[in-house]
Amino acid sequence: MEKAGVNTEVDGKTILNQFAVVLRTGNFYDADNVAVKSAVEKFLNIANPAIEAEGVFRIDLIGEYFYINDTRVRYPLEYILNFDYLVREFRRRDLGSVIFDAPLGVDDVKAFLKTFINSIYSNTPFEAMEASLEETPGIRVEKLKRVREEGSLDRRKIVKKSYFNAVSFTKGIMNKLRAGEKVSLKKAKRVVESMVDTLLAEEQLLIGMTAIKDYDEYTYHHCVNVSVLSIAIGQKIGLNRRALTELGLIALFHDIGKMEIPKEILNKPTAFTEEEWRVIMRHPYWGARTILKLKGPDKISIRSALVAFQHHINRDNTGYPKLHEPMALDFYSKIVSVADQYDAMTSSRVYSRVPLPPDRALSVMMERTESQIDPILFKFFVNMVGVYPIGTLVLLDTREMGLVYECNPLFADRPRVMIIVDKGGKKIKGSVVDLTEKDSTNRYTRSIVKTLDPNKYRINLAEYLL
Amino acid sequence: MVVSSDAKELIQALIKAKKNLRIYPENNPVYVKTVDDIYARITGFLDYTDPLTLKFKQYEILFDGDVVYHNEEKEESLALFFFKDGVRELTFKKGIPRDEVEEFLRVLSVDFEREALDDDIVTLMWEKDFHYIQYVVDDAFLIDDETYEETAVSQIKGSSADTEGILKAYEDAIGTERAAKINVVPLTNDDLRSIIQEIENDPPDKTLNLIQVLFEMFFYAEGKAEYDELSQFMKSTLEYAIGRGNLETAVYTIRKIRSSIKEGLYDSNINIYLRGVEQFVNSARFINLLGEVLDNGVEFTNDLLYEFAVLLDKNAIPHLIYILGELKNISARRATINILSVVGKKDISLLARGLNDGRWYVVRNVIYILRQIGERNAIEHLTTAVRHPDKRVRKEAIRALGEMGSGDVLHILKGCLSDPDESVRITTVRAVGLIRTPLSKKILVDEIAEKSFREKSFNEKKEFFEVLSRWKDGDVIDLLVKILRRRAFFKRMKNDETRAAAAYCLGLMGVVNAMDHLIRLQGSNNRLLRENVRAAIKRIKDGKSRG
Ligand SMILES: [Fe+2]
Ligand SMILES: [Fe+2]
Repeated sequence: MEKAGVNTEVDGKTILNQFAVVLRTGNFYDADNVAVKSAVEKFLNIANPAIEAEGVFRIDLIGEYFYINDTRVRYPLEYILNFDYLVREFRRRDLGSVIFDAPLGVDDVKAFLKTFINSIYSNTPFEAMEASLEETPGIRVEKLKRVREEGSLDRRKIVKKSYFNAVSFTKGIMNKLRAGEKVSLKKAKRVVESMVDTLLAEEQLLIGMTAIKDYDEYTYHHCVNVSVLSIAIGQKIGLNRRALTELGLIALFHDIGKMEIPKEILNKPTAFTEEEWRVIMRHPYWGARTILKLKGPDKISIRSALVAFQHHINRDNTGYPKLHEPMALDFYSKIVSVADQYDAMTSSRVYSRVPLPPDRALSVMMERTESQIDPILFKFFVNMVGVYPIGTLVLLDTREMGLVYECNPLFADRPRVMIIVDKGGKKIKGSVVDLTEKDSTNRYTRSIVKTLDPNKYRINLAEYLL
Repeated sequence: MVVSSDAKELIQALIKAKKNLRIYPENNPVYVKTVDDIYARITGFLDYTDPLTLKFKQYEILFDGDVVYHNEEKEESLALFFFKDGVRELTFKKGIPRDEVEEFLRVLSVDFEREALDDDIVTLMWEKDFHYIQYVVDDAFLIDDETYEETAVSQIKGSSADTEGILKAYEDAIGTERAAKINVVPLTNDDLRSIIQEIENDPPDKTLNLIQVLFEMFFYAEGKAEYDELSQFMKSTLEYAIGRGNLETAVYTIRKIRSSIKEGLYDSNINIYLRGVEQFVNSARFINLLGEVLDNGVEFTNDLLYEFAVLLDKNAIPHLIYILGELKNISARRATINILSVVGKKDISLLARGLNDGRWYVVRNVIYILRQIGERNAIEHLTTAVRHPDKRVRKEAIRALGEMGSGDVLHILKGCLSDPDESVRITTVRAVGLIRTPLSKKILVDEIAEKSFREKSFNEKKEFFEVLSRWKDGDVIDLLVKILRRRAFFKRMKNDETRAAAAYCLGLMGVVNAMDHLIRLQGSNNRLLRENVRAAIKRIKDGKSRG
């Protein structure tokens, strides 16, 4: 009989979740505790049939994701905390894979649990585990592979291409609309699908692209950035791929009304006059209009018009356009608004004029939760971009200075940093360090002590991040 | 060993499957057989060659370097079908389940020409999220400027960072710059729960929200062209909503338009356009869409239908009558009748025009609606309907006249008593009975007195007497007794039938005085008469003992 991998995936997430439950309860209670016992039993009940059927049952952590027998596990939102726990605990031990070769007994699992818990006190936790599991023949472990380094250049290339394709496409759309030409929604979908794929595979790299601000092409970059950040939020809150495409498409079009703003105003280097502001504040109205003109009402165009109109309206209905009657904001408007505010604040072309460093932007947004932006979505957002979003200029306790290069969703304050000034105060062309790295005494090698404003020093992020 | 001839066959089979799945529904044996066939071919293929990869050129498909398909016909080339949307390679992997093959074939069989889709083949495949089918696409055709990335990147990098700035930053950092502050607030289970709830509660139909936005947009619109545009958006939104079985949005919109106009929220120029939207729900376009969804089985609550109906005006009446004749579904017709019973009041004579409709059932329904409305000025429209060629219509009209009319319709009903159809005449007798005037009684009595009365069926006769019996007047009793006693030499059987009917009625009325006459007939040779007499006697006795 053929064993379809589909089944493995369906059950895989449940088994993996139960595995996490075993480890969590085992970490909390004594091994003989009822909670632990029942967790182990439940795990065996669902895991053993799978082990028997498949002959072998591998759990691999690769990058951010777990794979069971080579199939990536997609997990529902309910499991997210358990899975995050699992990723964190695996990484702390340098553990990459757990392999079950034969059906397990209660004692096998208990032995594993004990080994797992104790290993954290060792300086070389993985080796400790490996050694002690020699007595448990059904279970093997493998070391975490640093996949991030392999082919990293290629991955960057693909991400970059997907991002710039989207920017170029957006520019094309805006120009076509200005010229009164028809635009193809089919193509737009394809562009967004490609972004969704890229984001699912390379979340941090794609988010990193949004840190690069191209002032000349700001409007197009902004659209793409808001789309990327919205998709990223959507992915964190468990939207499926189809919903992510819709969200991404809608976000991409959120500022489409801006194409009606005269370029002299849009690109004006000095502060706006009151009259110019009035023109700018009409873009949500224009946006909704453009979308509805472009396409008769359907699921996407309706929601797109809603978001175009609502994305500058706050939770308390302040903001603009000024409402004459109270209005409940669309869920996607709330998501897009978080992404939009963040990107706008960290860019110099709009509203604030003086761009804020990413971490400053987050603290400004923090103050705006409750009255303006959705606090829970914001929480998801911070957890995603980290306390120090990509592009933040940081000083480390080693007296090195660097740029946040990649966030670590599990350790929000321990991103990967590209060192651009060494201990001695010399500018270097950076190597990337991981702030979760520990020395032999189990202490972190580097920690952030301060952040600085890269704009203030006219540091060009593109040079490092592209 | 798999050779290119196998691949050729597979492709021909795919082309056949593409057609078959378009034609046959899922449960059709041909459909099932087609999927089975392709599944068998692909899995058979994969036993020898895993994975199986097809490459696409504009007009050619290649397998293992060999051209296995070539077709330059735009309409039918399978190569072009994939190629034009950017597909360059398609790979099937071992272990592919039948379901996935089926899903793939369904995508393959989508008629992109006929269905105005916003999706291309790649989007459809992407949405399926196949596990065993992979594809390579070339996205280059999506963008106009292929060199964009290169120029953009070099431009951004061009505004190069200067060492000075970085070192200044370093100096400052070591000195005074602020410490980082934001705290990460960890996500809690409550956060997850509330997000899941928000996603679950997110309504799939957002037309009402869009309408709210459009009402706000009117405040920002400038000039008639924009007013017109917004009102068109509103109309198309209502159209879209009703097409998906949402009537609430229309109700909300019309109410809001009326209250806005009443409160003077908008400029009077805007009101003109808003009135246009208000009128739209009365249009053939909107009403037809409503009819379609009703016929497809969408059911609205009576409350909602009523709320909607009261918002309509008389212009909707002809369109409603039209769909009434088109609808196949009973509950759809009932809903339309309910709406017409409300809106019809606004113009009875417009509603009554439905009586000229060529479809008898429409006419009958219109009469039924006129009856529901029950307004006396509908009567004049019914006078011709009693001569409608279809007896079902005549009956409905007579019933309506009986319910709504008074003495003034009796002359019409009198004519109906000589209708060629018995069931129509019976309906007429009942209708006449409903109008309790001396004249109605006289009409019935006169009819009984006619010689031809004898020829009627027992049932019809009984109906006459039964209706008359409601008067309980002495003269009615006298008439019945007289009939009961009447003997005949010719057509005796018909006469006995009449007498039987009279006996039945006397029993019904409990006429004690008739007892003697009845007893005398209880041994009659005519079975019908005998039985009715006996039943009447019993009835009168029972009634007496009870009374
Ligand atoms: Fe905006
Ligand atoms: Fe924006």
